[in-house]
Amino acid sequence: MMISPSHAPKAAGPMQARDFDMYSNNGGTTLAVAGSDFCVLGADTRMSDGGYGINTRNYTKLCKLTDKCVLATSGMQADTLALQKNLRSMLQMYEHNNGKPMSTPAIAQWLSNTLYFKRFFPYYTFNVLGGVDDAGVGCCWSYDAVGSHERCKYSSSGTGQQLIQPLLDNQVGHKNQIRAIEVDLTADEAEDLIKDALTSAGERDIYTGDYADIARVDKNGVHLSKFELKFD
Amino acid sequence: MSIMEYNGGAVVTMIGKNCVAIASDLRFGVQSATISTNNPKVFKINDRCFLGLSGLATDIETLYEKLVFRVNLYKLREERDISPRVFSNMVASTLYEKRFGPYFTEPVICGLEEVDGVLKPYISATDLIGAPVYTDDFLMTGPCNPALYGMCETMWRPNLEPDALFETVSQCLLSSLDRDAISGWGAMVYLITPENVTVKKLQGRQD
Repeated sequence: MMISPSHAPKAAGPMQARDFDMYSNNGGTTLAVAGSDFCVLGADTRMSDGGYGINTRNYTKLCKLTDKCVLATSGMQADTLALQKNLRSMLQMYEHNNGKPMSTPAIAQWLSNTLYFKRFFPYYTFNVLGGVDDAGVGCCWSYDAVGSHERCKYSSSGTGQQLIQPLLDNQVGHKNQIRAIEVDLTADEAEDLIKDALTSAGERDIYTGDYADIARVDKNGVHLSKFELKFD
Repeated sequence: MSIMEYNGGAVVTMIGKNCVAIASDLRFGVQSATISTNNPKVFKINDRCFLGLSGLATDIETLYEKLVFRVNLYKLREERDISPRVFSNMVASTLYEKRFGPYFTEPVICGLEEVDGVLKPYISATDLIGAPVYTDDFLMTGPCNPALYGMCETMWRPNLEPDALFETVSQCLLSSLDRDAISGWGAMVYLITPENVTVKKLQGRQD
């Protein structure tokens, strides 16, 4: 009896799963502005599914690490959760071993090392660390996914980074303003600028919107507030 | 590497109170190499109508010459200057003629058009196959787009006087150019009012 080709036994071979993309970008924008004695961080709260859908409108990207330090992370929130868990347990151990909370510059260095530890299977996270150091001076660090970091006066990351970064260059860094009197921003001015930046990013970037968290860090601690962005 | 990012270049246009501004960077490059730093991308069609083109440099040149040819014919036949609105339509149809083998440029048109005897500002832009967009605030084209969107969205507000509009356009463009590796080397800003047209060359970061 002839076996028709469609019923012929197929050659045995290894089982193959279809390619599975291990990373997805949940979107969002974060930014920080550091001043002489404060640091203000802002982050939207929209979590997207990587495409046109919204998983939730109210997922915070800010994580308070100590009374003097806040971490803002955009990228893949699953990796963010793992990273934050890692960080929180390390912070507790440090405080028990050393009798004091970890200083912001020390956290900054530790975060860089943690990210590079997974250099060959990275955390898909784009971090901005903001706070005050032990002298009370405002500081902010920006990171790439594998831990390259730089201390700076202002920084942004996420899907709205390309929109917001030139604005920060112009308004905080006073770039291209030859005759501008270079005065450092006050905390209120920084907060207003961050709100404007997130509003503008929310207009033109589909992954940014819904609500925004603002964290103001100074020698008195961390003060969190929320404001509304557009839902569209 | 996209064909639209081969030569670099950025153009932005903004509406003010009875005035419009259009500005472009000055770089002409071939991927990472800069060939010339004196290549503005804004062209005058007539006293009340300007065209900005970004994208592939050879297509910018060809499209500009094609459009000038058509505008000259229009002027001969109609015995009047072409208005920005009509010119915008001409640009869109010229691009759509090449729908399945397009010119790799995305134009921005700006000018003042007469509506019921009053001159009103007008801006429009199209994509590379002629889909038009008309707004009453600002438009931009080129690889600098995300940066320009962020800057313009924050800095622009309606009814800016000519001086304020000039400053706003300049700051938006210069700050955006600094965050784009393939655009820059200064800028050229045209400010068009009912009385005259002023051109200013800006010295930005020369890199």
